[in-house]
Order: sequence, then structure tokens, then C-alpha cells
Amino acid sequence: MDHSGRRSADTDGCKWDAGKRRDSVRWCFVLLASLEIGISREEALEALQVVRQECHGDTARTPGGSGATRKCTALELLEEEQTQGFIITFCSALDNILGGGVQLTKITEICGAPGVGKTQLCMQLAVDVQIPECFGGVAGEAVFIDTEGSFMVDRVVDIAAACVQHCHLIAEAQQEEDHGKALETFSLENILSHIYYFRCRDYTELLAQVYLLPEFLSEHSKVRLVVIDGIAFPFRHDFEDLALRTRLLNGLAQQLIITANDHRAAVILTNQMTTRIGQSQSTLVPALGESWGHAATVRLIFHWDNTQRLATLYKSPSQKESTIAYDITVSVPVGRDMPSWVTLSPGKDCTQI
Amino acid sequence: MDWDQFDLNPKTIAALKKADIKSVKEILNLSGADLQRLMKLSSADIQCLLKTVSHTLRRNSMLTALQLYQDKDHFTSQHQKLSLGCSVLDNLLKGGIPLVGITELAGESSAGKTQISLQLCLCVQYPYKYGGLESGAVYICTEDVFPSKRLQQLIEQQHKLRADVPAEIIQKIRFGNNIFVEQAADLDTFQQCLTRLSLLLARGMARLVLIDSMAALFRGEFGPAESARRARYLQAFGAQLHSLSTRFRTPIVCINQVTDAVSESEAAQCSCRVVGSRVTPALGITWSNQLLMRLMARRLWLPGHSPCTGSRRTLSVIFAPHLPPSFCYYTVQLEGVKGIK
Repeated sequence: MDHSGRRSADTDGCKWDAGKRRDSVRWCFVLLASLEIGISREEALEALQVVRQECHGDTARTPGGSGATRKCTALELLEEEQTQGFIITFCSALDNILGGGVQLTKITEICGAPGVGKTQLCMQLAVDVQIPECFGGVAGEAVFIDTEGSFMVDRVVDIAAACVQHCHLIAEAQQEEDHGKALETFSLENILSHIYYFRCRDYTELLAQVYLLPEFLSEHSKVRLVVIDGIAFPFRHDFEDLALRTRLLNGLAQQLIITANDHRAAVILTNQMTTRIGQSQSTLVPALGESWGHAATVRLIFHWDNTQRLATLYKSPSQKESTIAYDITVSVPVGRDMPSWVTLSPGKDCTQI
Repeated sequence: MDWDQFDLNPKTIAALKKADIKSVKEILNLSGADLQRLMKLSSADIQCLLKTVSHTLRRNSMLTALQLYQDKDHFTSQHQKLSLGCSVLDNLLKGGIPLVGITELAGESSAGKTQISLQLCLCVQYPYKYGGLESGAVYICTEDVFPSKRLQQLIEQQHKLRADVPAEIIQKIRFGNNIFVEQAADLDTFQQCLTRLSLLLARGMARLVLIDSMAALFRGEFGPAESARRARYLQAFGAQLHSLSTRFRTPIVCINQVTDAVSESEAAQCSCRVVGSRVTPALGITWSNQLLMRLMARRLWLPGHSPCTGSRRTLSVIFAPHLPPSFCYYTVQLEGVKGIK
């Protein structure tokens, strides 16, 4: 039963008002159907209703949905991207060069030498993604996939406590009603219980985990951030076959892109640095080779300049390449028994907005 | 692998056997399209297969950060650390050395690296209550012979160093019997050492591995043209140590030498940020990438002090995921290493 007949009847230049016309078209269809295939009028009506419901269901699913049939204009995409929001890093200079923060639905790669602060930023973002909407956050949850064993829960506790306190200060200063309500649930325990931690010991476990991600994200629909800290470690030893490595990494990147898009989540990957020996001097470059460079949409490189930490936006579709200074600060909040905490903050050369 | 045990469609199992796929790893190494071609199944079947094997591999491995934080169990908790046997030094490291991961202790010669590691060998044997892990230690020497005389001296003086531990507990521990010393002068013997190590750790006879030192293994072996091969060795060893540490929740402490930094940028690359210091830990960035945390011991030459009296030293945190860069002073005395407030 195709509905081309119905459609052409629908477009006939009838002068009746819309309601009447729809009714009469439906009636014609029922009459024709009952005549042609010999079913009763009730049955034909029922069939029509089923067909209509399915058509409606389809149109309702397509926008914002995951299907391959999704079509939209650049304008719609722009609007969608603008309403999506960012995960703020709490470092205004870093937010600025990223164009507002870490973008949802995109893959951001953080590269840097050991000890420069990659894991720090990851842990910070796992907390920041949970900031309530009224404070400018995305009120999401975080998945943290740890391949190196460097996720230190004590430190996350420090960062989360600092973040809660920061939000309390904002609420006190602004005295808005929804702030108080949001803060009731924005507690240390709540933050910690919404960071889902997976430890992967080798690359097969990592691949398996990424295969399971879509299912997990469907069950936990509020997850807006997936961190893989670090992508390089499991792929940088015991790989005799480099072609296999490239293929696995490309497959992984492809799956992460799809997952990020389908579940409106940001994906953060950390990568190590390696020495490339040039003709006159050697330089530090991100590991995993040239083709991996295409995997991430945004690439951020952390490096040292003497004693100053610098962050360079190396690749981005929307922001210009720029470098900022940042610090990982240690400050001791007032109050007893509060641990000292460490958060990212703009370096001394930066102007704060 | 017995595919019949998996909760899979019989059609898929037959196809797996026909395609001669033997392990989960093999499945995950192939892309979805490759699997479709090899097994002649629809993409829906392949998706289902991938999900099932991933589930079997991962099981319920999810933990929330809250569970990690509240975990008080000795064998899984992140709060459990290996004490250095001195409250000042433990404070610097927020409790001591983390159990999972490779910790590096770098420093010039005579900075006190071996002293700290000998002390760790003794501390690990104390009960959990006193910061130990109730187990022995493996000490892998790659350059000098094991300083057994000094060890005996330290054992005799334990009651002085650990005033916090009741004397009868100290007397009960047979310190000397639980330190396993290995000598490895080249890479091959070191590799054999690591194989033996896993047996020792599996039996629970040791829960600390000390390597003194990593750099000595690599010093003579490789020419400048062989840096790629050297890097592969470093990565392979790093990965093996990492997996031992994770499997047995055993801290790995590697002592490393330092080299003079030729240029400021070189010092920056190795992420060694000691103000006023022109040295960087040896072995380069490939090795640094394997580490969880890096500590640096230094000896300060104060004017007016003769080298014979107990000179001041500093222990600094260069990087660690849970610690800010900081340092404290310490001295090496007859009874051991002690921090100074």
C-alpha cells in the first residue's frame, strides 16, 4: 500500500478549507482501499492511521536524532552549536582561546610532556562538566577512562570541594533563587558519584570499553564528557605491526566521533609527546604519528617555557592559533581541615575578563 | 578459546570457528567491516558479537569516584600508601608512595637516593597500621653491589628511627630475611629478573620493587644512532613494570641518575623544574612518559659547613598527579633518613 495516491490527492487545488479537505481525502482513500483490496472500511481506516503514525514518528525523530538520514542547513547547525554550551575550564584565558570552553560533540586532544598538567585538566573538567546550568555549566556527568592509573581520587576531591565553594561564593554575591536550589544538590558526594571511572590496563580493554560506550551513554543520558587519559600509553609499547596500530587508532577515533555526536558529549583525549629528530635539532611533537593528528577536532599542546606553563591551541576549526600562560595554583582556603587545592588559573601574563 | 561459553547466536559461533578466530583480542583487532567479510555475517550480527565479547572482557568494571573515595579496603583503596618512615617526608607526599605506578627518585650522586630506598625496604615490612604493606622488598642492583653493611646498620637502629612503633613489633620483624637482592648488569639479565619478579610478587613475598638504577642499564649499551631501539626498550620495560605494579598493587621505585642540561630548553623538555638547578634526570622524555611521579633528591653545599658533618639535603616533588610541586629538607643520620620541619 503506497501513499503516493494520497499525496497527489492532497496537493489537488481544492478550494475547501483544510479540515474538510483532509477529511474527504481520508474518506476517498478508505473507499478506494476497501474497493481495491477488498477489506472493510474499518480495516482500511485502521491501516491509514498506522501509516500516518509512522510518518509522524519519523519526522519527529529526525531532527537532533542519530540517524544517517539527518539533514539540516548550515544555519540550523550554527544555531544548534550556539545553544549547546561549553564545559568551562575555570581558566578564563584557556576558555578564551578555545572559544568559550571545551566544545560538546567535538574531540579535543591535549598533548604535553609528563607533569605539565594534562591529567589535572582532565580531572578539573570531570568536575566542571557538572556545574549546574544556572551557573553557566552544562549540568552533566563524566566518564573517565584511565589507562595509566594516574586518576587520584584525593585530588578530585580537592578540585570538587573548590568548585563547590566557588559556586557558593557566586551564589552569595548574586543572591538568586535558582542558585540556592541548584546548590542543594551540587555537593561533593554528588559530584563524585557522577564521575564514572573505568580502568583499562591494555589496548584491548580500551577498545572493548569504547565499543561499550554507546550503550553506557544511553543508560546514563546525562553524561556530557568522556575523558580518555591517556590514549597514547597502551598504543606505544609492544606494537610490532605499526599498520595495525594505525588501523586500530583510526577505528577508535571514528567510533569516538560517532559517540560524541550521538550523545552530545565532549571527548577529551590526552597524548604524550615524543622527540622527533630533525636535521639540525630535535623537537618535541605529539606521539602516535602523523595520521593520528587528524583524529581530534581541537588540539591543545601544553608545554614549558622556563618555569612558566604555556598552552598553545594548535588545531581548531573555529579559533585562531594562540598561546596563553597558565598556572596550576595551590591555594589554601580559609577554614579548618580543608585541604589545599590545586586548580588551573590564568598565568601571570594574562589579562582576566 | 571456547566460543560455546559465550552468550552468542549459534550461527555466530559457527562463523567464528569457520573463520578460525581464536581469541577476543583477535576480534577486537579487526574492524567491523573486516569481521563482516571474514565471517560472512550481517552488520547487526557483528555489532552484537562485538558487544558481547566486550562485555565479557570488561564485566562490571565501572566505579564511581565516590566508591573510590570511600573505599577503605587494604587491597583496593587509593588511600593506602607506602610510608617513608618519617612523618615530615610522608607529609610532603601526602602519606607516602602510591601503590600503583612507577615512582622515580632522581638525583646527583651522594644526594641520598640509596639511603631513601634502603629505608623503604624496611618500611614496607611494617604492619599496615604503621604505613607498611606487611611484605618484603625486591632490590635490583644494576651498578654497585648491594650496600648490605649499611642495611644491617639501619636494621639495628630501627627502634630509634621508628619511635612511633612499639618495640616488640619491631623486634618481631625479621627485616633481613625479607629483602631479595638481584644483580642485573645488562638488559638481558634485567629482563630475566622481571620474569622472576612476577613469581615472587604472585606469592605475596614482596610488595615493593626497587631498581637502583635504571640509567646504568642503558648507559653503555646504545650509541647515539640507536635511540629508536633504546626508546623501544624503555617503553617495553616501562609497560612491564606498569603491569606488574597494577596487577599486584606493588609500588615500583626507580632510582635515576641526572645529567647536566646542555641548554635551558632541554631542561624544560624533561620537565624538571628545579629553580637554580642545571641538571635533568637521565633517559629523556621516553622514560618520563612511563612515570607516575618524579621525585628529586639534592644535596646542598652550604658555605661554612665542612662536607663531613651531616649536610642538608632537599627532597622535591617534580611532578605527580596528586601533589603540587614542593620540597622539604632532610638529613641522613646513623639511624636513617629524617625530614626537617
